[in-house]
Parts: sequence; structure tokens; C-alpha cells
Amino acid sequence: VAKLCTCDLLVAQCDVNCCCDPDCSAADFSLFTTCSVPIVTGDSRLCSQKAAIYSLDVEANPPERVFKLIDQVNPSVFCIHATNYKQALSFSSPEMPTSENFDQLLKQFGSAAFSAEPDSWNIDSDTPNSSDANETYRYEYGVPIQTMDGFLRLPSPVVSSWCSDANPAGFLVNQATKCIRSVSTEKCGNIQAVSMLFYISSSILAVPKSSQMVNITVQSIVLQSLNGMRTLLNSNDVLRHPMILDELCINIVLGVSYHITYTDAGQIIEAAASFVLGAINKEALSVQQSFEISFTQVNTKPVPLSGNPGYVVGLPVRAGFKPQGYPFPIAVLLSALNTNKYGQLTILQSTSNQDCLEAQGGRTPVLFGYNMISGCKLRITAAMKCQPLTQALLDLLKGQSFPEYVASFGNSQAQDVLDWVPITHLHTSEQTMRIYNTFQSSCQIPVSLEIEVKWTKYGSLVNPQARIVNVTATTTTTTLKQLASGRERTIPITSSVVFTDISSPAEPGYKAWPTINAKLPFDFFFPFV
Amino acid sequence: LSSVPLQILFYINGFYYIFYFLATLAMIVYKSQVFSYPDDFLTPDLALLFIMAVLEVLRLYLGSKGNLTEEEAPLGLSLVITVGSVILSVYFLIWQTYVLKADVIINAVLLFTYGLESVLQVLAIATFVG
Repeated sequence: VAKLCTCDLLVAQCDVNCCCDPDCSAADFSLFTTCSVPIVTGDSRLCSQKAAIYSLDVEANPPERVFKLIDQVNPSVFCIHATNYKQALSFSSPEMPTSENFDQLLKQFGSAAFSAEPDSWNIDSDTPNSSDANETYRYEYGVPIQTMDGFLRLPSPVVSSWCSDANPAGFLVNQATKCIRSVSTEKCGNIQAVSMLFYISSSILAVPKSSQMVNITVQSIVLQSLNGMRTLLNSNDVLRHPMILDELCINIVLGVSYHITYTDAGQIIEAAASFVLGAINKEALSVQQSFEISFTQVNTKPVPLSGNPGYVVGLPVRAGFKPQGYPFPIAVLLSALNTNKYGQLTILQSTSNQDCLEAQGGRTPVLFGYNMISGCKLRITAAMKCQPLTQALLDLLKGQSFPEYVASFGNSQAQDVLDWVPITHLHTSEQTMRIYNTFQSSCQIPVSLEIEVKWTKYGSLVNPQARIVNVTATTTTTTLKQLASGRERTIPITSSVVFTDISSPAEPGYKAWPTINAKLPFDFFFPFV
Repeated sequence: LSSVPLQILFYINGFYYIFYFLATLAMIVYKSQVFSYPDDFLTPDLALLFIMAVLEVLRLYLGSKGNLTEEEAPLGLSLVITVGSVILSVYFLIWQTYVLKADVIINAVLLFTYGLESVLQVLAIATFVG
């Protein structure tokens, strides 16, 4: 108590009127008028404590400070005689955070308000741990995939193009990365990152924090020679290690492609890796590696989504057919017969020679949001017959199997028939104003196909999703006049796709006013009712 | 042959103990409000107080019965229980979480009473046996 001084604020300097300041000399004390701190005691609730009393003796000349150390007694009968509890009367100094107690301290002090009692006094803090153990974990989107030792690594370039092994693969995040790894041919057998074993050694945990393991199997191995030629190996179970052969280092991993199969409960059930192995020669100091990872739900065929759920601009519009005999064979997937292999709506692709009849039948997928127009020139000679020409032009414009339905959302599943929009077909003729009887004798050939896709914004104002509402395919025909022999005509054939936004303006949605639900009891008006 | 001072002492002890119990309980409540009295420390103190009350009732009943019926067995049992009560009283005197001056005073009186009673009980047993 004698050493405590609350008015000693300036270090190594005398504070004015501070009688307990040790930095003051007797000459300073003589200049004081009063003592700002007359008494310094311990906790006054104790029955007896030491007290330091400072006072100025103004009688003496010069005035001097008087310091007395006495025992102060608390007269109350409820004064504390003794305590057996260390932290009773003093502020406890907080724990220094170390790596062991950091989590507990963060839980206690990490929020906006501290809890009134520290968790160490609560026995309940142990129970959340045991209840978590009974909870089933599952992978969620973006959660890093855990393996036996750490996370599944997908090396990727960080800052520069050099490979960094610290990039974990996220669940359901399809990624493809390319990066450069530095190697030296002499030690090529020792560098882990170019050996197959590095990528399949640790098994993946089926769910986070579980002991169920999924081994990574080797799905295929492709050998790439120095000049870039790739050959698929037949035997997949042999693990090939990098080794030095002649002056080359062979079996270097140039690319890994992981395919993970998951269930809709968030559990990984299968993992396969396809490798591309190559060779480098002595002078090579670095090798470029490419990695990718893709996720497939179990029992589904991987259909590339064009948006989730709304269409993303630039992704292909998905389309398909309704199988015969609907609704009975519901199990048959709609995308069994597709416009093209991937179930996309396609239009004619313009070629460089612009001759319709020589077109190879190349078609380009319709990308959502991109209005496209393509076409070719048709050379009509006198010798052409109407009917085969019409059929050939229809095939050209619409393709081999023009779909009947278009998916309204980017992630519409084939099983949900209501999510698919039927394509409406219209026919117009260029010469509608002509006299009727010229129609019958002449030949109508289709010259243009215009697909109009009407879409709307769907969902919340903050994150609107694009949804296709209506698709109309309009075929315009024109009369083919019979030509004199030897002459030819060229007519343009066009096909186009237009996307129109028909969204209605956003409406605010308010919650209903709360209603007061007060009813009198049944027999409130007893004698009268 | 019954010891009259012992009986008087038992009678006074009964009343005093009721006062002691209520006072200690009230002071524990006061301490828990005024000082920081965490649950870890409050629970043992309260538990021991209630145990002490039970022991006291038993002790006084057995002692007074033994004294009045001039049997040494209940009196002996009461003496044994007195030892337990003394230990608990010492706990409240020294090892409690907060020992106030009032605690010291009432526990000292209680201990003095126990001491006096023990002496008289021993004398009474000696009288009954002999």
C-alpha cells in the first residue's frame, strides 16, 4: 500500500499536489497546497487493512509532507475476516492466449459482449462436443475435401505461374488449373509432385471428420510422347513411377483429372483420377501441369448445367424430346434423343464458302442471351426439283433432330416435365399478298428460320434468375419460281435466334398485416344465446 | 441421575442453532450478492450448512433422549455426531469462501457450546455407566 500512488501520472517527474509521488523531493512538497490523495488503502471491506495516509503539515515552515502507515479497522460486523478464494477481491489478470486455450478464449471473448461467467465455471460446455459426435457430417458446397492427411490438393498457380500445393479442392466446385512446376532431370525420381503416387496416395474421407475412407482409383493413363502424341494405355492398375531412361525422365505427371462421385446426402462414394504422363529431356527446367476436378452425382449422367437455377448468359440452351408414350414411361430420360450430343438447341453454322448445299451440316449451339444470325447462299438451278429441295433446306435449317422442348431453367432435370417449355412452330410466307391461285402451282421453299426465345427474370430482386418462358420457331417460306433452263438464281437462307426479355417489373412483396385473433368464448352471452 | 445442566444446554442449543442456521444462510445470500461468489464455491458452502442442520437435529434429539432416559447409547452416539458438527463448525469458521466477522463470532459461540456440551455428555455417560 505504501508503494501505490494513483496520482503519480508523470513518469520520473513530480506531479503537482501528489503527496505520494516518489519522484517528488522535499522542496517540491513544500510548494504543495493540499494532498489530492489523502489516503491509500486496500479493499475497505476487509476487517483490517493497511492504510497509507498522506497529509501536509502546513504549520511547519517550510510545509512538509507527513506519511503514516496505519492499520485501518472496519467496524462493521460484516467485514471480511478471511477469504479462501483467491480471486475474491482483486481483478484477475486475463489469461495469456496460447495455442491450447485460444479456442476457449475466442469463444468467451470473441463476440460483441462477454458472457457474465467464464465457460470454465459451466459444466455445460462439455456437452456440445458429445452431441456433435452423434451428428452426421456431410460435405457442403465449397467445403474443402478432407483426406487422411489434410486436404485434397489441386495444385494451382498462386501469384506467379509456379505451382502451389496449398490449394484445396472444394466440394462441388469444378476447377481446372494449369501451373508450372520446376524439375531437374537428375532428381526426377525424387520429386514427389511429378509422380503418380503423390496424387493418389492419401484416401479421401467420405464425410468430414469420419473414418470412412474412399481410395482414389486410377481411371486411365494416357502417355504423351515428347512430340505431343498421346496414347491411351490399356492397363490401368500399374502405378508408374518417374524414372530415367536414356536421357529422358519418363512417367512424369503432366496432368491429373479427378472425378468425384457423390450422393445427394453430401457423401463422397467414389474417386477416380485420370493421368497424363509424359517425358522430359535433360535440358528441361520446368514442366507445365494441368489439373482439373469434376463432380458427378451418383446414378445420374453428368449433364452440364447451363445455370443454377437461372440460365447464365453465354451457356448453351438445353433442349430435348419427350419420349413416346408419355406419361407412362416416366423413367426414360428426356434427353435420351438430343439435338446434339449434349442436349443443346443448335442453329446452322455459317461456313466460309457460304454454299448451302455444300454445307457439312455443322451446327453451333445456341448460347443464352446471345442473339445469333447465320446463313448461307442457295444456288438454284433449273434442274432442281421442289420437293427434295424443300426437304434439304428444312434439314439444313433445323438440323437432323430439331428438339420439341427447351429447358426453362439452366438446371432443369429431365424428370421434371413441367420445367420444360414446348417449342411452338409457326409458318409464314413471304408473299402473303400475292393472289391465291399462284400458291398452289408454285413451290414453297423455306428460306429462313427465326427462333425467338422469350425469357423473364424470376425470383428475388437482388439475384434474379433467367427463365425461358416461350420459344417460337418461325419458318418463312417463299415461292420458288420456275427458272428457264440454264439460268440460276441465288437466294439467301438465314437462321437466327433472338432473345427477348419479357420480365414484368419487380413487385414488392410485403408481409400480411398481423391480425388480431380475439374471439369471445363460446358461451359468453350465456343466458341470452 | 440425568444431568440438568446438560439438558438446559441442549435446550438453549436448539434455539441458538436455529438462529445460527438462519444467520449463516442470510449471510451466504448477502455474500453472493455483494461479492463475486461463483457457483463452484457457493454449492459446497450451502450443502455443508444443510448437512450441519440435519446433524444438529439428530444430535440434539439423541442427546436429550439419552439424558432423559439415562441410557448411554444415544448419548454416546450424540457425542460422535458432535465431533462431526465441530468439524463443520470449524469449516465455517476458517475454510469458508468468505469469512465475515459475524461468521467468526457465531461460530466461536457455537464451538464454545459444543465444547461445553461434550464435557457434560462425557460426565453424564460416566455417571450412567458407573
